[in-house]
Amino acid sequence: MPPKPHRILLDRVSVYADEAAAFMRRRRISRRPFARLYYPHGRSADHAEDSRSGAELFVAAGRLIEVAGKKQKGKAGA
Amino acid sequence: MTTVMIQEARARDTVGIFTQMADASTTAPPSGESAAAALEFLGEMSPDLRGAAILGPEGEVLAATEGEAERWREDAAALLAVADGAEDAPVEQVHIATEQGEVFAIRNAGLAAVAVTDRFALASLLLFDMRSMLRELAGGR
Repeated sequence: MPPKPHRILLDRVSVYADEAAAFMRRRRISRRPFARLYYPHGRSADHAEDSRSGAELFVAAGRLIEVAGKKQKGKAGA
Repeated sequence: MTTVMIQEARARDTVGIFTQMADASTTAPPSGESAAAALEFLGEMSPDLRGAAILGPEGEVLAATEGEAERWREDAAALLAVADGAEDAPVEQVHIATEQGEVFAIRNAGLAAVAVTDRFALASLLLFDMRSMLRELAGGR
């Protein structure tokens, strides 16, 4: 007996949802910390965390994250 | 050890670091009020934003979200100094993703902006918004 049409639709939607969840999971796992610098004319360079320049960049970034603190939106003014 | 590295970076020619950019064409820096308004608008456009600052041609803080303006100035200067020193060339954009959050910096039209976001922020969109913000500020809009 063939499945009912609404079952086919539900199965299809749940397959897409599974795919989307897997994509997000892969994205989170694969996206390791990185430091990327962009130069004029579209050139870019990645700096590994264990290189000297990479380590310096991560330290500098960490200090800025500390300054920003937790989510503090909406208020501006030096 | 890492603290020593950042101090070295600070000491390394940070004066005038914001004027190294090729398109340093801003004649008069924008007012603090317009910079603050631009920053508030950026916050509305970017739900992942934790904090940000806009810096003038001399590295002075024109506007910043909550937090000490002086610390924003120092730490932004340190980041750009380290970034410039990585290949001995002035950078246009910086994107650093860490476990704690992501940091973006951009130079445009003689100004600079730094932003800190949650992880997995939409980087291209944020950088686009930051660039537009600086361009409009420099143009006096």
